[in-house]
Amino acid sequence: MYGRNAGKLLREVACSESGHLTSFNNILFDKVIQDCSEHHLQLQSLMRKIQDQGLDIQTTRNSDHFGAVIHHLSLIRNKRCLMAYMNHRLEIIRSLRWKVGRELPEEIQQKLTQSERDYFKNHSLALESYMSELDLELTVDMVPPKDPYIQVRVLEDIGDVLLSSAQTTLLRHSVHSLRRSDAEPYISQGLMEEFLG
Amino acid sequence: MSYWEDEDPLVASTIPDVERLKRAWRNEKAAPEIFQFQAELVQRAREQVQLQEDNITVMQAEGTDDLTLSLYQMDLDRTLFLLRSYLRTRLHKIEKYMIHISKTELWDRLSEHEQGFVKRCTDAFEDHLEQSVLSHLPYGYQSILKQSISSEEDDMVPEPKLDAFVFCRSKGTIGAFQLDETGEEIVDLVEDDLYVLRYKSIKALVETGQIDLV
Repeated sequence: MYGRNAGKLLREVACSESGHLTSFNNILFDKVIQDCSEHHLQLQSLMRKIQDQGLDIQTTRNSDHFGAVIHHLSLIRNKRCLMAYMNHRLEIIRSLRWKVGRELPEEIQQKLTQSERDYFKNHSLALESYMSELDLELTVDMVPPKDPYIQVRVLEDIGDVLLSSAQTTLLRHSVHSLRRSDAEPYISQGLMEEFLG
Repeated sequence: MSYWEDEDPLVASTIPDVERLKRAWRNEKAAPEIFQFQAELVQRAREQVQLQEDNITVMQAEGTDDLTLSLYQMDLDRTLFLLRSYLRTRLHKIEKYMIHISKTELWDRLSEHEQGFVKRCTDAFEDHLEQSVLSHLPYGYQSILKQSISSEEDDMVPEPKLDAFVFCRSKGTIGAFQLDETGEEIVDLVEDDLYVLRYKSIKALVETGQIDLV
């Protein structure tokens, strides 16, 4: 009550490593929602009490009024904390679209709620339709290019692929010199790594 | 400058545009709020990228040596990076402040495609919050815009922090410039000098292009 659980929820976010997602805290989240309902019940009963005494609800400034204000403010505080918690997660979820791509790995999926998974999908769709309207892929070229070509080592058998320069066969452990923009999607999926030295 | 004058006019004309794109990109990266979309500049940059790509293909077919080709390719890649990063930086701001943008005059600063993006994003955002939080809250506290039914303004919408400090460089000598409304803080803006000021106070100068963010 009085925002304590909501504070705990946010502390969890504040303590976690920035940019990393923690599992959705269902138990605490539901507790805060319950707190909200409880505050609302108390608030209403205090309002009723004021009305039952035949006092004007707008102008009365007795202990019941201030009690009600406390419940109202606690409720608002809880709401803000819940929304901040959600919004913070959404920011990380959106950044995953840029870092990981359209498909989230299983271990990240598990940390999300169903609604968050849907959000990720819908948000990805919005981004994809923007890029296709523009006819420009924006998820490549994330760092300023030093050299148009980079050396990569293939980590998994990928097989025959058509890259912008030519048809290439990408076999595990083979080393290639590819256009950076061709290689980036494979690197972010973990199928290749930059070969240094 | 003789190097550029020797080139064919199409390549030479890309120089100011790339510089302009770089400026737009830098400003966009440094400012807390979103600027007017540089529609014509982006359009021209994309045409030039296309042209350069075609040129490179032709040169490849003609058997131009690899070093020359890779220099052209590098130039092309850098422009493409600028272009992509410019658009991405805008998208990040849009994602962060979508509700604020769609209900203020900032809306007109977006390109048509960006506006479409905001609409789809906002739908996904609202659906998600509605379903997971707002619908579980008591009556009167369910708005995504307001803290409660008794709030007079939309007080739940994240807004860009306009009083954040930014690094900026004055392009010309502007002279004494008033930083706040009361006129107590005045700074002498000298050409090509570097300053750290609140974005809010120099916003107008950035918009008219008298000062660049770095």
